[in-house]
Amino acid sequence: MPRSPDPRGARTDGGGGGASSPLSFDAEVLALLPQLRRYSRSLTRSDAESEDLLQDCVEKVLRNRVQWRGVNMRAWAYRIMTNLHLNTRRALARRPAVGIEAADGVAAPIAPPDPLERNRLVQALQSLPDEARAVLMLVAVEGHSYQEVAGILEIPVGTVMSRLSRARQALRQKLQEENVIQLRSPR
Amino acid sequence: MNEHRPVSEADLHAYADGFLDQADCRRVEEHLAENPEMARMVADWQAQNDGLKNAFAPYAISRSTDGQLIAGTAVLSKPALYRRLATAAAVGFIFMVGGLFGHFAPMLIEKPSTEGEGLAQEARNAYLIYASEVRHPVEVFADQEAHLASWLGKRLSIADLRIPNLHSIGFRLIGGRLLPVADKPGALFMYEDKTGRRVTVLVGRNEESRRTSFRIASSESVETFYWIDGDLGYAVTGDIPRELLQAIAQECYRQFDV
Repeated sequence: MPRSPDPRGARTDGGGGGASSPLSFDAEVLALLPQLRRYSRSLTRSDAESEDLLQDCVEKVLRNRVQWRGVNMRAWAYRIMTNLHLNTRRALARRPAVGIEAADGVAAPIAPPDPLERNRLVQALQSLPDEARAVLMLVAVEGHSYQEVAGILEIPVGTVMSRLSRARQALRQKLQEENVIQLRSPR
Repeated sequence: MNEHRPVSEADLHAYADGFLDQADCRRVEEHLAENPEMARMVADWQAQNDGLKNAFAPYAISRSTDGQLIAGTAVLSKPALYRRLATAAAVGFIFMVGGLFGHFAPMLIEKPSTEGEGLAQEARNAYLIYASEVRHPVEVFADQEAHLASWLGKRLSIADLRIPNLHSIGFRLIGGRLLPVADKPGALFMYEDKTGRRVTVLVGRNEESRRTSFRIASSESVETFYWIDGDLGYAVTGDIPRELLQAIAQECYRQFDV
């Protein structure tokens, strides 16, 4: 059961804090959707999987609104999404993943400077353990401090650091390995 | 600040992530200047950060369907995840009593059996997964209906696959897709009414040739009417009133049976 996050070390930005009337609750969730959508996509392997996760998360957030203590909705929603994702990934047989859709999906709305590099990076993400990937995304993409990540995931800061380290080293190794192959068949 | 405090790996991460104050930054930079390999590693981490930010930034957008996501899901009582992972065991079977079709009369009341249970479950999963898709509900859209019918007909080895027309009931074809049903190629057609309610019609190959009555499987608010006719199994799934779903199932049966 998710509880609202421990306020220790959590800043209340990004739609956090305050009112708890039903109307403003919905409005806050709505305002959080873009960030949740980004986080969802950064955890998952395809657009479809990402939208599913987002939908599951929103349902759960809305259903559990009574449990929210009005502290930091963003951190609370991130925790719910992370847990849903990890549960699903544990429940499903682990797929070796990758896939055309994963790469295609990223090419979606805006094209960042170097699509080849971006695809390589996103492909390399698939090799990370899900737990380590979540930590890296919360830090690198969502901009949380290590302390905040520890609060969101309810793990010690030391564990955050070791997962972050593992994710970064694995990613670096993967990118170095795949350099030659990718240059041969750019897409 | 202690200038001589050794630089830890945690410091390197914090440096890469921009969490260090000026004094600590300087301490780490001095250390990196003397350790080129480590400096390359930290530079790579920073490049990863930039790359990841860029890669996922495009997804931080609002969608026109966001309001529906909030309003539409507010009424659900069980998480989608739960529904998706629900096992066949959780599906309650209700056997229809009533003269739907004359020639089914002898079989109208059947003993509970597991036959077709897999079909109903697969139909339900397909509905839950695909009907909620906003952008990619189908592989081939209804504007290529003839192609859709011939393609899926070929994959299912059905000489003349008919795609049911449900206009008379107020549902229009969105399109269809190929998907596995009992480990063989199966077809899924999706329909939508004016209010955006969707139903799916699944067609799959059946192990042995036989006929069953209509059956209904329901779990939460999603219901599936299914039947086996010859070596094909059919399932109609939706989250709509049962009478309406039944009317659609009957219409599909009528049109498939021609």
